[in-house]
Amino acid sequence: MKKEEIAERVIRVTARELKMSEDRIQPEHHFAHDLGADSLKAIELVAAFEEEFELDLEEEEALKVKTVDGAVDYFAELLPE
Amino acid sequence: MELRPLEHVQEPNLIKEIFPHSIPPLIRFEDRIRETIDGEEVEFDPRSMIDRDIHITDTTFRDGQQSRPPYTRKQMTRIFSMLSKLGGTQGVIRQTEFFLYTKNDRDTIDACRNLGLRYPEITGWIRANIGDFRLVKEMGLKESGLLTSCSDFHIFHKQKQTRQQAMDQYLEVVEAALEAGVRPRCHLEDVTRADLRGFVIPFVQRLERLTENQSDHLRVKIRLCDTMGFGLSFPNVAEPRSIPKLIWRMKEECGISGDRLEWHGHNDFHKVHINGATAWIYGVDAVNTTLFGFGERTGNPPLEGAVMEYIALKGDLCGIDLSVITELAEYFQRDVGASIPANYPFAGRDFNTTRAGIHAGGLRSNEEIYTIFDTRELLGRPPRVAITDKSGTDGVALWVNEFLGLEGDKRLSLTKVVKIQRWVMNQYEKEGRLTAISEEELEEQVELHFPELYAQARSRRK
Repeated sequence: MKKEEIAERVIRVTARELKMSEDRIQPEHHFAHDLGADSLKAIELVAAFEEEFELDLEEEEALKVKTVDGAVDYFAELLPE
Repeated sequence: MELRPLEHVQEPNLIKEIFPHSIPPLIRFEDRIRETIDGEEVEFDPRSMIDRDIHITDTTFRDGQQSRPPYTRKQMTRIFSMLSKLGGTQGVIRQTEFFLYTKNDRDTIDACRNLGLRYPEITGWIRANIGDFRLVKEMGLKESGLLTSCSDFHIFHKQKQTRQQAMDQYLEVVEAALEAGVRPRCHLEDVTRADLRGFVIPFVQRLERLTENQSDHLRVKIRLCDTMGFGLSFPNVAEPRSIPKLIWRMKEECGISGDRLEWHGHNDFHKVHINGATAWIYGVDAVNTTLFGFGERTGNPPLEGAVMEYIALKGDLCGIDLSVITELAEYFQRDVGASIPANYPFAGRDFNTTRAGIHAGGLRSNEEIYTIFDTRELLGRPPRVAITDKSGTDGVALWVNEFLGLEGDKRLSLTKVVKIQRWVMNQYEKEGRLTAISEEELEEQVELHFPELYAQARSRRK
């Protein structure tokens, strides 16, 4: 999958799960510090990404991803072009 | 202060020689214990415990029954057989004592004897008068406890006797026991509030003199009864509350060996279990207990606690079947109608249930982090979580996986159960709930989100 498409989908899912508009989300944003994702929201986000990308993620690894950019890189590695 | 360097290790040091997890954690002594008695330092060596024949005696049917309505014969027979299975064939639970006063008491002894079990041995309990001794003889028992109260509170205020009259009466009954070939076990009632030098020691010396030439099976036994729970385990406590000093005087001044000494405690000051363990450590071989600590007022040393202490001191299960504790707890609550507090160690509903999310997280990654030993294997009780707003997604994952009986790779991850956790949090944040989530509610959620797994689990349980 192309990295641009992954980035678009990561932002869309993040906006939906954290109940905010997509244009508020920047690539360098930290899910917890900038976007307010608490520990429960973080797990819900991972669950939403699993659904979006139809993946069964390694939970501990997925929860180590802290930023929007980091998530894009993480999925780009799992979903090569 | 010299700073110790941090030790870098490749593998964690889990101190397995003390916390093996496969059995309860062990108690290891490194040296002798010292006590000052009459200005002299004396020593006790707790390391001798490994070789000593320490054991548990039971008074569930005597003191235990004084705190509740009488058990039926069927109940007592069932409990007796479970005690036998729990204590195993090495006789860790060596004896249990019965009242002899009613027909039901005597018929129950016959029913238990007819089970043909080696342990626990059946002994009796009577008040110290000749008339009552007839009951022991009629039942053909080899040993009986005799109530020999020894504080002046009892002698003067209850029995309205002088010390001489009390001692003469007690000795007369002991002589009758010996004539009938029954081993006397004198229960020194209220000994932790008694005048040791003025009554207890003279009395026990005379008892010893009376039986010192008898064969071993008739030599007097002494039960040290901490009737009001006044006994203290600490070193160098003043008499008569000092357990170490009391034991030392029984052995050194009265000649009563450890195999003829027994401790009987009460829990009025929350010291009942540790006082029993202390008696073991300082040289008494038998600790008298009741199941779940049921007994007069605040109760007696809990038998289950003594069993755990025994394993910890011996470093081995010694034939003990700990799963019977779970059977007994279920039986007492379901059939006997007794109430065991939810947080009661080893047997209460929640004894290994965590409500804290951080603990549930630990349990999920490695059960040993938040379990006292392998309660799943030894007691048939896997660690559990109770779900509240504090238990977290880890708690929900643990509960759901346990409920569904999923193991290894099949266990559901946090992301799979997070919808249930969101429902839980909404209960508190949006609905204003203040109570824990019930198991029935959680089952409904599992059925909603994992219908196939739920159906499989239900059919397995049927």
